[in-house]
Amino acid sequence: MPSIDLEGGAKRLSRELSAAWAIARKDMRIYYFKPNIIVSGILFPLFMFLAFATGKNAPPGTLIPGLIAITLLFSASSIEPVSIPIERRVKTFERLLSAPISLHSLVFGESLSGFLYSLVIACLPLALGVVMFSTAIQNAPVLVTAMILTSFCFATLGTLFAAYPTENVGEVMSMLNTVRLPLIFISGVFIPISSMPLIGQKIALFSPLTYGNDMIEFAYTGKSLFSPLLDIVVLMIFILIFQIAANRLYKKFNE
Amino acid sequence: MEYMEAIEVSHLIKKFGPLTALNDITFSVGEGETFGFLGPNGAGKTTTIRILTGISSPTSGTATIFGHDIERDTIAARQSMGIVSENSNVYDDLTAWQNMIFSAQLYHVGRKEREKKTNELLTIFGLHERRNDKVHGFSKGMKRRLTLAMGLVNSPRLLFLDEPTSGLDVQSNLIIRDVVTDLVGKGVTVFLTTHNIEEANVMCDRVAIINKGNIAAIDAPERLKKTIQSVQSIEFSFNHNSADQLDELRRLPLVNDAQKAGDKFKLYTQEPSEVIDAVMAYARTHNLKVISITTLGPSLEDVFIRLTGLKRAGGAVHAID
Repeated sequence: MPSIDLEGGAKRLSRELSAAWAIARKDMRIYYFKPNIIVSGILFPLFMFLAFATGKNAPPGTLIPGLIAITLLFSASSIEPVSIPIERRVKTFERLLSAPISLHSLVFGESLSGFLYSLVIACLPLALGVVMFSTAIQNAPVLVTAMILTSFCFATLGTLFAAYPTENVGEVMSMLNTVRLPLIFISGVFIPISSMPLIGQKIALFSPLTYGNDMIEFAYTGKSLFSPLLDIVVLMIFILIFQIAANRLYKKFNE
Repeated sequence: MEYMEAIEVSHLIKKFGPLTALNDITFSVGEGETFGFLGPNGAGKTTTIRILTGISSPTSGTATIFGHDIERDTIAARQSMGIVSENSNVYDDLTAWQNMIFSAQLYHVGRKEREKKTNELLTIFGLHERRNDKVHGFSKGMKRRLTLAMGLVNSPRLLFLDEPTSGLDVQSNLIIRDVVTDLVGKGVTVFLTTHNIEEANVMCDRVAIINKGNIAAIDAPERLKKTIQSVQSIEFSFNHNSADQLDELRRLPLVNDAQKAGDKFKLYTQEPSEVIDAVMAYARTHNLKVISITTLGPSLEDVFIRLTGLKRAGGAVHAID
């Protein structure tokens, strides 16, 4: 009976989501206040931003979209590269791998904690812009959508890198930084994409941060390189690719 | 109700590159059975468990848990299992209560049931008073008890127990053994891996001995012992025991091997009555009194040593590589 299948499917989905949420809550309780996550997720983007913003003649308020974008990048992708190697070392990750949940839900649950952490942290530059510099937000729904998609995209990227089978947090962080650091230079955060050389412009198309930053810029200034709809579609494609790749790598590396 | 095997493993092969970790193993475990899985380090025990729990995939062959293929129907198969790993893999930064609830959530136990079960299990394992304490302050035994409690939170029909009592204090050891005995009484199937062969001897209906990826033997402990009746021993104690006597005793006629454990000597032989005479003569010659003397049949450890190609040296067991 199709109705029974539908009911069974809904029940399974509800169970999977509930287990994913349990994993995310566990990470929130354990890892949100770990020193290396605070350094990597909050201080690192702040200092990176200050280093580049200092010396720019632009009014501080105009730098807020870029600060939000790199905060989302660093904070969202910082939880799982710390939590998963630690859990491998203390063998609690085996508990998750042997639980009656799909790998997709495990990856989703892990990413969820980075996603929520990042959304909260990104509210700090957002509030800073509003309170200190009276930075106007022209399109709040686009900003919220941009923050949600960008945050989830980078949280999944962090989970993907954490699939690398090591018990050493530093190893995952080093690999991740070889990707994260170049992203902030090629994605229009500090240098507008239109002023980059042609090769740089082409490379920018392969960076998810380009589309997240583009949407945030649109939300603040009404101007963007691409349409917000295109940004949404591309970010969703990146999330899908990272989720599938993470799923495959966790399967492969657990053999 | 139709009888169903708890575990059915058929022609399981697992290769890691050129290394064959499991070489075509086949066995089954009946529902309600306590099944011991013994083998030296690197024999393939962990690989087998990782396949049976769906963490790893076999190169070929199949494994089913209560009829669910572990590869194709992984989630349904896992739902009926409880897994207690060798490491006490609990979250140190969570309280005992939070660990239990988290485990219950992973196994889809409903809210009311998980709170009831958590209360019940923490009480059974003597942890209820410490339920709101973070686990990092717990002793090794308490962590082990919590690990077992977490493995039981979904009321599993099949429990994988990996080294349940290794290195534990007496209290934790007794609690864990009592709980496992109680579970067995309730019809739970137990798949036990342990280095403590005496534990397997006492607890298991059947044991499998795996060596170098092959099942060397699989049977009830008593039947396995009968296969090596030639390995008998006598155990005795003198009024004065010293390590120097061991070499002399080892050289007695018909003695194949000798061990000293505490205040007792153990001599392995195929002819116990003649070795008893030789020991009595040795005692007279050296002005010693025999305090106690017992003849022993082969132990499960003897079977294990015989089948895995290990050898005794100086009372310890060493691998022959």
